[in-house]
Amino acid sequence: MKRRELLKTGGMAGILAAGQYPLIQGALAQDRYAKYRGQTIVINYPAHPHYDQAEKLFAEFTAATGIKVERDKTQYLRMKDKQTLEMGKPQGDYDVIVYVVMWKTEYVKKGFLLPLEPFFANSALADPSYDFNDLITVYRENIGLVGGEKMYLPGPNAKTYAIPYGSETGVLAYRTDIFAKLNLAVPTTYDELLNACRVIKQKEGIGGLTSRGQTGHQVTAAWLLHLTPNGGEVFDSKFRAAFHKPEGIRAAEILKEIVDTGPAGIPSYGFGEMQNAFLQGQAAMYLDSISVMGPAKDPAKSKIVGKVGYALHPRGSKYSAQTGGFGMAIPKNAKNRDAAFLFMQWMTSKANDVKTTMMGANATRWSTLDNADVKARYPEFNVLRASLKIANPDWRPLIPEWDDISQQILGTALPDVITGKKSAKEALTAIVPKVEEIARKGGWLKT
Amino acid sequence: MTPARLVPYVYVAPALLVMVAGLALPILQALNLSFYDWGMGTPWETATWAGSDAFTTMLTEPRVWVSLGVTVAFVVIAVALEMVLGIALALVLEKPVRGMLVFRTIFILPMMIAPICVGLIWRYMFDAQFGPINHFTALFGIAPQAWLAVPELAFFAMVITDVWQWTPFVFIMVLAALQGIDASVIEAAKIDGANWWQTIMLVKLPAIKPILIVTLLMRMIDGFRGLEVIYVMTFGGPGQATELFSLFIYKAAFISQKLGYASALSLLLLALVTLLSLVVLRFANPLKRSDAR
Amino acid sequence: MKRLSYQDAPHYLLLVVLSAICLAPIIILALTAVKTEAQIFDTRWSWFFIPTLSNFQFVINDGNIDRFLVNSLVISVAATIITLIFGTMCAYALARFRFLGRETLSYGTLILRTLPPAVLAVPVFVIWSMWGINDTRSGVVLIYAALNLPFTIWLLYGFIEQVPEELEEAAAIDGCGPFEVFWRVILPLLKPGLAAAAIFTFRLAWNEFILSFILTNRHTRTLPASISNYITDTGVEWGKIMAAGVLIALPPLIFTFVAARQIITGLTAGAVKG
Repeated sequence: MKRRELLKTGGMAGILAAGQYPLIQGALAQDRYAKYRGQTIVINYPAHPHYDQAEKLFAEFTAATGIKVERDKTQYLRMKDKQTLEMGKPQGDYDVIVYVVMWKTEYVKKGFLLPLEPFFANSALADPSYDFNDLITVYRENIGLVGGEKMYLPGPNAKTYAIPYGSETGVLAYRTDIFAKLNLAVPTTYDELLNACRVIKQKEGIGGLTSRGQTGHQVTAAWLLHLTPNGGEVFDSKFRAAFHKPEGIRAAEILKEIVDTGPAGIPSYGFGEMQNAFLQGQAAMYLDSISVMGPAKDPAKSKIVGKVGYALHPRGSKYSAQTGGFGMAIPKNAKNRDAAFLFMQWMTSKANDVKTTMMGANATRWSTLDNADVKARYPEFNVLRASLKIANPDWRPLIPEWDDISQQILGTALPDVITGKKSAKEALTAIVPKVEEIARKGGWLKT
Repeated sequence: MTPARLVPYVYVAPALLVMVAGLALPILQALNLSFYDWGMGTPWETATWAGSDAFTTMLTEPRVWVSLGVTVAFVVIAVALEMVLGIALALVLEKPVRGMLVFRTIFILPMMIAPICVGLIWRYMFDAQFGPINHFTALFGIAPQAWLAVPELAFFAMVITDVWQWTPFVFIMVLAALQGIDASVIEAAKIDGANWWQTIMLVKLPAIKPILIVTLLMRMIDGFRGLEVIYVMTFGGPGQATELFSLFIYKAAFISQKLGYASALSLLLLALVTLLSLVVLRFANPLKRSDAR
Repeated sequence: MKRLSYQDAPHYLLLVVLSAICLAPIIILALTAVKTEAQIFDTRWSWFFIPTLSNFQFVINDGNIDRFLVNSLVISVAATIITLIFGTMCAYALARFRFLGRETLSYGTLILRTLPPAVLAVPVFVIWSMWGINDTRSGVVLIYAALNLPFTIWLLYGFIEQVPEELEEAAAIDGCGPFEVFWRVILPLLKPGLAAAAIFTFRLAWNEFILSFILTNRHTRTLPASISNYITDTGVEWGKIMAAGVLIALPPLIFTFVAARQIITGLTAGAVKG
C-alpha cells in the first residue's frame, strides 16, 4: 500500500516536474504529508457545479496523503452567514473555507484569514513543482489579493489570502440552431444583442437572453454585467456614487429590456434558474459565467447539447467582462492550518486541475487551457482565453462594505426597475445618499 | 418561610430558569446590543457605543416601513381570508358525521409539516417554468404567470401559501366550538322563528365569540412571527414585495452584519407583538377564570 | 353516531374536495422527490411516471445525513421531555397554589408565548457564545425548551384546573405528601394534555431551522438546518431538494396520523374551554 502510494504520488510529482527524478520528488512529497497523516481537515464549500466535481477528488487526496477531509457543504449565498459565525470564534470549526470573491476584503478586514505567502515560502510544505504563476493571472489577483489599490486590486502591499478555485469570467453562449434558423449574426455589440433579444422573442416565442434577477445579490450581479461595458461604474475614483449617472441608468434600462424579452420569471431567478432556462431551451442566449460550458455538454442537465456556441461578452462603449467566483482560504482560527494548505495545494496542482476540468469543473491554470486533452474536449476554451483578456477585475468595487451595498441597497432598488415599478433613474437616484453614507462610514468617501 | 410555603417555588423554579435563560435574558441582551455598533463575527471589544443611532436609523429608513407595511398587509389579508373561509366551512360542515376524525387528521397535516418544506413545496408549485400551478391554471385557459417574479403575484402567492397552511386551523377551532354550543339554545332560537342566517348571526357566532377572538389573535401573532416559509420561498423578493419583518431582521443581522441595528429592529417587532398579546390577555387569560372561582 | 344517508353526500363531497386541497401540495412534494430531473423539467406536469429513488440515494449518501438525523432526534426528544416535566410542574403550581409572584409569572409566560424566534436569533447567539454552549446540542435543547414552555404551561394549566381538588385532598388525607399527590393523582389525569403538548414541542423542535442554523456547527446541526443548504442558488435540483424535504416532513406526518385525536385536543383545548 505504502509503496503504491509512493509510486503514485511520485509519478504525479514527476509529471509536474517535467519528468526529472520522479522517485526523489516522490520521496520529498511523501515527507511533506507524513507529519500530518491522520489529521482531519474540515472544508466549508458551496453547493456549486465546480465543487460538485471537485469533491470527487477528496477521497483521492486522503488516499494519497493520509489526511482526512470532512465536508461541510452550504448554499453559496448563505455560506457567509455560517463562515462569519464560525470564524468569529476563538477556535473555529473550519480549516479551509471557500469564499465568494465579494467577501474577501470584509474577511481580511475582520482579521479572519491567514495570508498564504508564508505557506508557499515554507519548503517543508510547498510543492516545488506547484508553479504559482501558472494560476490564471486575473483569477489569482482578483480572488486572492487583498491590501493593494482600493484594497481589492493588485498593488505593492497586497497579500494573497486565497487560491482561486472555481473562478470564472463571463461569456456569451447562444443557440447555434436558432441563430441559423433566424439568420441572426452572433452579437458583438449591445445594440446587436438587444436586437437579437427582440427578434428571438418575436419570431421564436422563447426568451431572448436569460438573466438573473432575484432580489439581493443576483439582480445586482445582472446589472453590473452591463455596467462597465457601457462605460459606467459604481463609484468614481474618489468613492462618490456614480452608478446613477447616465451609463448606470442605461445599464439598468438594458437589463429591463432583457427581462421584458427574456424567459418568464427572471425577477425570481437566481443563478440556477437563470442557467436552467437556457439549458432547458427556454432562452436562446446566456450571458454569465463560463461555468455553463460543463453543464451544457451534460445530457442529464441540458436539452441543448451540441447546439451551443460561445462568443465574447458584447461591447457597449468598450469590452469588459465580469470575473469572480470562488477561492479557497485558511481561517486564522483553523485547527490544522498546515494540512489545510497541503489540501489546497494538492487540489489546485497542475495534474488535478486538468482532471477536474475534464470532468466539467472550471479551469484554474493557464497550463490547463494549453493541455491537449482539454483543448480537444473544450474547443470553446479559445473563447475563454479571449474573454480572460477583457476580464475586468474592477467591474465591481469589492470593498468590505460591498456585500451590504450590493445585496441590501442596489439589490432592493433594481427589482423595482425590472418589474417596472419605477424608472431606472428614479430608483437609482433614490439610493445615492444611502450608498454614500456607507462609503463614508467605511472611510472610503472623504467629504 | 415554612417549607410548605416554599413548595410552589420548587415547582416553578426549573421552568422559570429555562424561560429566563432562553427568553428573558436574550431580550435584555437585545436591548443592550441595540446601543452598540457591532459587526457580526468581530470580537466584542471592537463594538462601539452608538447611543440611539440604531433607533434613529430604524425610524428614518424607508425600507423598515415598507417591510412593516408588507407584514401588516400580509397579516390582515391572510388572516381575514383564513377566518372567513374557516368560519364559513365550519358552519357548512358543522353537523357531526361519521369518519370526521379522518378528515380532521388530513386537515391538520399542512400545519404539522415543517415550514421549510412548506416553503419548498410552494416555491416549486409557483415556479414559472415547471410549476404545477401554471399547468393547473392552463386547464382554465389562463396564461402561465411568473408568480414569484411579479411583486403583486409574489405577495399573493405568499398569502395563498399561508391560507393553505392555516385555514384548516381556523376551521378546526371553530368547528370544535360550534359543536360545543348547547343544542337547546339553537332549538329555542328556531322555535322563536329565526331563519338559518339569523341563527348563525344572532346565536351561533355570538356564542363562540371568545374562541373566534382567540383564534384571530393567535393567527395574527403567528403572522407577525413568520419567517421560515418566506425565507425559502422568495427570500423577500422581488424587491421588498414579500419581505416580512422577521426576514428583514435576519437580513440586517446576517447580510448587513449589523448586530446592534438588528437588535433594535427586534425590539420593534417585539413591541408590536407584545401589544397584540396584551390584547390576547384581555380576552383570553386563563387565570381570570381561576381567580373568579 | 347516525347512519350514513344520501343527504350527507354533499357534506362528504365538500370534505373530500377540501382534503384534496390540503393533500395535493404534499403529494406533489412526494412525487417530485421520486422524479428524475428530466421528468421534472418536462414542460408538461405528469402524475404518472416511473419513479426513481436516486434522489433519496443522493441525499442520504451526500454528507453526514445520518449524523444530522441523530442530532434532530436527540434534540427533539430531549427538548420535549424537559419541556413536559418543567412545564407540568410549573402549570401545577400556577393552578393549585397562591404564592407571591404568581401573577407576574403567569402574565410573563403568556407574553413570552408570542415571542418571535427572529427576535431571539442574535442575542441568543451572543449569550450562548458567552456561556460556551454555542455549537452544542444542549444549547439548542435549551432554547427549544424555552420557546415551548409558555405554550405547554398554558395548555396544561387548563387540564390541571379540571382535576377536582377533592381528589387531591383525599390523597393528602391518605398520607400522601404534596409531591406524591402530584405524581399519583394529577399526572395520570393529564395524559391527553401531555400528549398534545409533547407533539407540539416535538413539532417545533423537529421543524425549526433558523435558530438551529445559527446555534449549531456541522457536528450538532439538525436535519432542517442542513437541508436548507440544499436550496442552492446554482442548480435547481428540485428532485434532491424535495427528497430531503420528504425526509423532514415524514416524522411529523406520521405523528399526526398516530395521534390526531391528541393534536386536535391540544389545538382546541384552550379555545373550547375559553
